[in-house]
Amino acid sequence: MNWKSLLLIGLILTAFTATSVLAIDGGNSRKGKHLYKKNCKVCHNAGGEGGELTPMTKTMSQWDRYFKKKTAKHPGDVFKNLKEKDQKDINQFLYDNAADSEHPATCG
Amino acid sequence: MSRFIILLLAVLLTLPAATSFAAPTIEELQKQIADIVEELDDLSDRLEAPERHSALDRISFTGDFRNTVDSLHYQDVTWNPGIKVDYDDFGAKAMDPLNSAGFNTQLSDAGGNLLTNADGTPLTPLSKMMIANPSLAAAFMAGDLSGVGPFAMSAGPRTSDINNDLMYTTRLRLNMKADIAKNMNFDGRLTMYKAWGDSSGSRVFDSWDAFAMDGTSSGRPSGDLIHVERAFFNWKDIAGSDFYLSIGRRPSTYGPPTNYRENEMRGGTPSGHLVNFNFDGLTIGYHIGKLTGIEGQTIRFCYGQGFESEYGNGTLFNDDITANLEDTHLGGFNIDVYNNGSTLVQATLFRAQDVVDGFTGVFAFPAQYATLFAPTMNADLQKFPNMNFNVRYTPSTVIGNINLLALGVTHEYDSGFTWFGSVGMTQLESNGQAGMFGGMGNDAVFEAQLSADGSEIIMMPARAEDDDTQNGYGVYVGMQMPAPMGKFGLEYNYGSEYWTPFTQAQDDLLGSKLATRGHVFEAYYIFDINPRAFIKVGGLYYDYEYTGSGSPVGKPIKIADIENGSAYSLLPVIDTAWDAYAKITMKF
Repeated sequence: MNWKSLLLIGLILTAFTATSVLAIDGGNSRKGKHLYKKNCKVCHNAGGEGGELTPMTKTMSQWDRYFKKKTAKHPGDVFKNLKEKDQKDINQFLYDNAADSEHPATCG
Repeated sequence: MSRFIILLLAVLLTLPAATSFAAPTIEELQKQIADIVEELDDLSDRLEAPERHSALDRISFTGDFRNTVDSLHYQDVTWNPGIKVDYDDFGAKAMDPLNSAGFNTQLSDAGGNLLTNADGTPLTPLSKMMIANPSLAAAFMAGDLSGVGPFAMSAGPRTSDINNDLMYTTRLRLNMKADIAKNMNFDGRLTMYKAWGDSSGSRVFDSWDAFAMDGTSSGRPSGDLIHVERAFFNWKDIAGSDFYLSIGRRPSTYGPPTNYRENEMRGGTPSGHLVNFNFDGLTIGYHIGKLTGIEGQTIRFCYGQGFESEYGNGTLFNDDITANLEDTHLGGFNIDVYNNGSTLVQATLFRAQDVVDGFTGVFAFPAQYATLFAPTMNADLQKFPNMNFNVRYTPSTVIGNINLLALGVTHEYDSGFTWFGSVGMTQLESNGQAGMFGGMGNDAVFEAQLSADGSEIIMMPARAEDDDTQNGYGVYVGMQMPAPMGKFGLEYNYGSEYWTPFTQAQDDLLGSKLATRGHVFEAYYIFDINPRAFIKVGGLYYDYEYTGSGSPVGKPIKIADIENGSAYSLLPVIDTAWDAYAKITMKF
């Protein structure tokens, strides 16, 4: 490996150090999926009391806005009974699977 | 509507005014109403543009942009060209009496004068060949040549290490999506993948990876052209059922479990261990999970065409060149046995029928082949050592069929830890035919024949060595775990002597790692900059055991046998190679 390669690796490591402060600190989408199924799908299914609601119902920013401003207006105590971390996980799951998020690229 | 809102606001604002001493005056209220009206007008104006945009812009684009630096290092790259010749046939032709037509016809100049060699013996096609190949002549005269045997085309193996310390590439992918109806949509992907400083679009044919063809157009650096990697429609819930139909250029690249190393969600339908190749065709799918109760269970029948034998191949000349060709068809099943979003059990099985000796493709003709096969052309090409002419390659014959099968499992834990494993089998069914580079998993047997003007002996592929069926096996395992600032992953794959998956479009610069007949190790670290950008650094180490990785054409030969000169290959072979890379990817 010559000096150019070493220089390149050094530059990359420097870039990592610089960018690490930007690393995200979001919720756990996988945990959010379980919490969503347990707490939300009970009412929000086809024919359910709350009407059908899936992650695809809203866009990523719409989900973020909902969890920032509108959870207090949700009927019942479901959000009051959820810990802040659990709400963040559900928010992350809905965000990650929203209408404008990345989806599995398969046919059908 | 605006008037109603204004009236309502006026009433609401007036009510407290009547009951409070601190209530605003009428003038203040009128000013507030005027401000609200102004704000509403402004909002209305601003909404017109997005409303018009959403009405007219029927296709939405997303994409990703990746820049990569690779440090590529090849150890013991060996070229020892040679072919297998039917010496019984050669011997019979060489025994023709002088001037009885054939190999022993004395050649003459333009004036009709008979030509002789330097020692005064008659100059014949056979004597020319023997003088040019003294070792062949000695073996022939000693009676050592019989049956099918090797014919060395160089003085011996030439081995070297090759280092490409820095190579940069840029990949741009634009994903398209459009809703046609409630149950019908269009999907597409446009891809540009280029090496920095090269937009020529063709590479000198020093390996099958250098062959620019339909199936790999988006997976090999091919200049600044945009290629259509995917374009298909989905027609779902047909007549209210759980059937769907999809036709077009398929999502048949980056399938599971290869998506983990790409740091993206499932990138395609079939197993990425078995298929990473652009296919044109159709899928009829059925979400059978609703019947069986097994989450995410889907059965898909897939059909496609991998090679068009007539159109574009000069068929109208009605010469022999396309007489032995047939269209190559593919058919099989992609089954999601179980898929709950965390666990995926997937089976992929299909058959490629009437596979030909290479696809239609383009490459820059290597001057080295003129040296081996075309002495007349070589005499002129020596004056242009740095020039290669572009060649459109057309296969010459059907060489057999291929059956492929893979079963894979992936599992993602809530903690973010992920593991996967996949086993695969490929079966090469030779029909006994061969082109220049061989038959289905076996070598071509060349026969000596006279050139059209009768002046020299040329070697032409006549048949394959045999019509045996050969099985190959592959294993692919890996894990990915959360790590500070991102993820850490380890992967390993192994392919046996005859392992031949359709993964040639996997965009590793050393060649598809999953097509390797040998061992490949990979370790990487992904740093998440933000939810839509990441940096990946890692390394790949390839240890090839057999030749021909990624191609069904030709007999796999032990790399060590090529290196020690006991076997031959028309293409250079690599013993080991490693690639240290860093990539920065942004999704938008």
